[in-house]
Amino acid sequence: MKTLSTLRVGLLLCTLLGATPTTVWAETPRDQLIVGMSMVNLLSLDPASATGLEVAEVGANLYDMLLEQDAEHPDTLVPALAESWTVSADGRRLTFVLREGVRFHSGNAFSAEDAAWSLQRVLKLNRALASTWKAYGFTAANVDQLIRAPDARTLVIELPQPTDPLLVLNTLATSPSAFILDRREVLAHQRDGDLGAGWLNTHAAGSGAFKLDVWRANDVILMNRFDGYWRGPAKLRRVVMRHMTESQTLRLMVMRGDLDVARGMAASDIQALTRTDDVAIEQVQRGTLYYVAVNARKTPFADIRVRQAIRAAIDYQGIDQVVMPHYGLLNQRPLQLGLKALLPQPGYRLDIEQARRLLAEAGYPQGFTTTIRSLADPPFINIATNLQATFAQVGIKASIVTGTGNQVYGAMRDRTFEVIVGRGGGGAERHPHSSLRALVYNPDNRDEARLTNFQGWRTGFHDAEINELIEQAERERDPERQLALYARVQERYDALAGAMLPLSQMVDEIVLHRDVLAYQGHSAATTRLRDVHKQP
Amino acid sequence: MSLLSALAPQRYPVRMVRRGTSILLTLFGLLLLTFFIGRVMPLDPVLAVVGPDADASTYQQVFREMGLDQPLWRQFLWYLNDLLRGDFGAALLTGNPVLTDIARVFPATLELATLAIVFGVIVGLPLGVFAATHHGRLGDHLARLLTLFGYSTPIFWLAMMAFLVFYAWLGWAGGVGRIGLAYDGLVPVRSGLLLVDTLLAQDWEAFRSALRHILLPALILSVNSVAYIGRMVRSFMLEQLSQEYILTAKVKGLSWRQVVWGHAFRNILVQLLTIVALAYGSLLEGAVLIETVFAWPGFGQYLTNSLLLGDMNAVMACVLLIGLIFVGLNLLSDLLYTLFDPRTRA
Repeated sequence: MKTLSTLRVGLLLCTLLGATPTTVWAETPRDQLIVGMSMVNLLSLDPASATGLEVAEVGANLYDMLLEQDAEHPDTLVPALAESWTVSADGRRLTFVLREGVRFHSGNAFSAEDAAWSLQRVLKLNRALASTWKAYGFTAANVDQLIRAPDARTLVIELPQPTDPLLVLNTLATSPSAFILDRREVLAHQRDGDLGAGWLNTHAAGSGAFKLDVWRANDVILMNRFDGYWRGPAKLRRVVMRHMTESQTLRLMVMRGDLDVARGMAASDIQALTRTDDVAIEQVQRGTLYYVAVNARKTPFADIRVRQAIRAAIDYQGIDQVVMPHYGLLNQRPLQLGLKALLPQPGYRLDIEQARRLLAEAGYPQGFTTTIRSLADPPFINIATNLQATFAQVGIKASIVTGTGNQVYGAMRDRTFEVIVGRGGGGAERHPHSSLRALVYNPDNRDEARLTNFQGWRTGFHDAEINELIEQAERERDPERQLALYARVQERYDALAGAMLPLSQMVDEIVLHRDVLAYQGHSAATTRLRDVHKQP
Repeated sequence: MSLLSALAPQRYPVRMVRRGTSILLTLFGLLLLTFFIGRVMPLDPVLAVVGPDADASTYQQVFREMGLDQPLWRQFLWYLNDLLRGDFGAALLTGNPVLTDIARVFPATLELATLAIVFGVIVGLPLGVFAATHHGRLGDHLARLLTLFGYSTPIFWLAMMAFLVFYAWLGWAGGVGRIGLAYDGLVPVRSGLLLVDTLLAQDWEAFRSALRHILLPALILSVNSVAYIGRMVRSFMLEQLSQEYILTAKVKGLSWRQVVWGHAFRNILVQLLTIVALAYGSLLEGAVLIETVFAWPGFGQYLTNSLLLGDMNAVMACVLLIGLIFVGLNLLSDLLYTLFDPRTRA
């Protein structure tokens, strides 16, 4: 009797749990895409407040832009809400002819007013992405005059200062600040003159291929197909993005077919997955760089010979071959790989003798003691450990200080660091200026200037000629002369042993289940899912 | 002694006022400490909002909007003022009012922790009694080994292994999250507890999915409670079983079962309640590691992420809630003491 009741309980449990392997859902629905990714940095869906790549990944499917970067050929810009555009002879005026018949998710018709208002809003709110536009000379005060809609199908952008229009067009094609909002819908939710910022933190008002259905922060995002999309409905009915931070969980779920796309997986798990036929790994190059930086305002790093010694004490090739697979590609220049302006790699390599000699010339024959700041995560900590070992060979006794992003980069922003292993440097726009401005440019080296958005300022490295060359190149309209100027910047930065020592171009590896077709990761993270579908 | 008289002993109002004051002071102290520790931590919530590439003017604008340019004491008074009006502020992490967030994440943890503590008691209690009654014998050694394993095994590793075996290999567990994606958002939210909500909606498929998702994390989460409860029960029981009244009971001719459960076990109930309440309290604080492995959108992850961002509105509300949980559990355990132990009613 007792055995019988135990059996009954067991059977009941099995029934409840569906415990037989045949009932397990081991494949995602054909018309849905299930994405696993970390959403820790996804704080707000408001395009004006976007920080990090995740907002771009989500927003690119909820919103449209005036133009887009071609995923396959990122140097090519293709029309989107703007059917065409022209640049005036002096390069100071961009005129866009906008598409007719586009409707937002709310049903409102798209017009040039929406485009102008969306861009003006970024400056007026002065949030995370305003700095890009401020760098072009736009301000909250002048933006209404400079970005305007003379009629429903025309948008005009006047550049307040001489700037390469290609750079601005690239920003319009890659930055979440250029997502076009449904002005009427957003203003209907405005509170206390906030231009809808409070509402847009958790809602969306776009015309993209998908509509936001549910967003639960750090949990899940559900997007449903927008049937009225101007390009025609997306192939998938629904996209589900689930917050998952544990790499091995992602790996197991992809292997079982419960995830279609996994992002942010650890290198060791990606490596393990390369041995299976069920997944494909897509490598997407980002604009940002991994680097070692020194504080040029501090002794001994203010001395060029010490910086040269540091450069000779880095095992670039070892780091590239051992630490960086799945994270980055060797790049020793402060420009992203693939740009026409990039000079051939300088070929720096570990040279202990040279480093020792330079240190002795600088007055440090016995080396010195320093600290290396690094995040505790790979690959940063692995790079720092490698540095510590090679530094020791030249007599530099380095201790590693790890911490959170706030702590590590905080010391850099305060210019209190000595050596740091970091990652950064603009680069969303496929233009040399994007990286140089972020990594090298430093127009005012005084502490009180607090130009913390320039990593060049954070390192305390300042050279008036380099600044002038960068500014001149940004204004130059002749492509050949512009290339020559960028070549001079790189040569001079090399000659002066700049405080920022690039190691590697960042790559993201996205794991795709074999059934997923037409997924093409964008370098600026604006990956569109409208054409993605699954094996029938 | 009736329940009523247990609840209303002499000088009850005085005790209640004293207890109430002590609770309020505890919670105030907790808030004060958390606020000032949070402000001196090397975390910059402004950076979390504006990102690393924002310029100084954007940084300063947000810095002022968040009230961080004010002296600490003023910031604290403003916070208290808002708090007294029921406004806990908005969370940086989500943009929602903090209370809305907590109302979403806490039920997820409550459901998980409750199931885990139920498993913990169901397994830990008999295990402890069994070990005590088999003191020094093979059963005792095995039980101690089991509890030692429960204590010393890293919960993260155990969770990963369990996920590998029961999800990836056997396919018994339901994967990550609280419910299958097919049901996400389809179950009307009433209590926030998915098992309850799916039952109320009479959606048996969704209930089954929720159950398949919660069982494995709850079981893993309960491992530590099983070990804790098992070891404590063993120790309490050993103490009781060595008392003279046990010998008397045996001499009286009571069966071994009556001696163990009717006498010894009854006398450890009060202590048992305290440790179960404490174990439950720590489970309710959230199990960050379990929540990470199983992508469980719970309180632990919410609090940890908020802490890492320096999102003090969210952290303060979470700490206050944890304080309230412990105060509540203490009160409950005191009340049950009064019910079960006549000596505490004096």
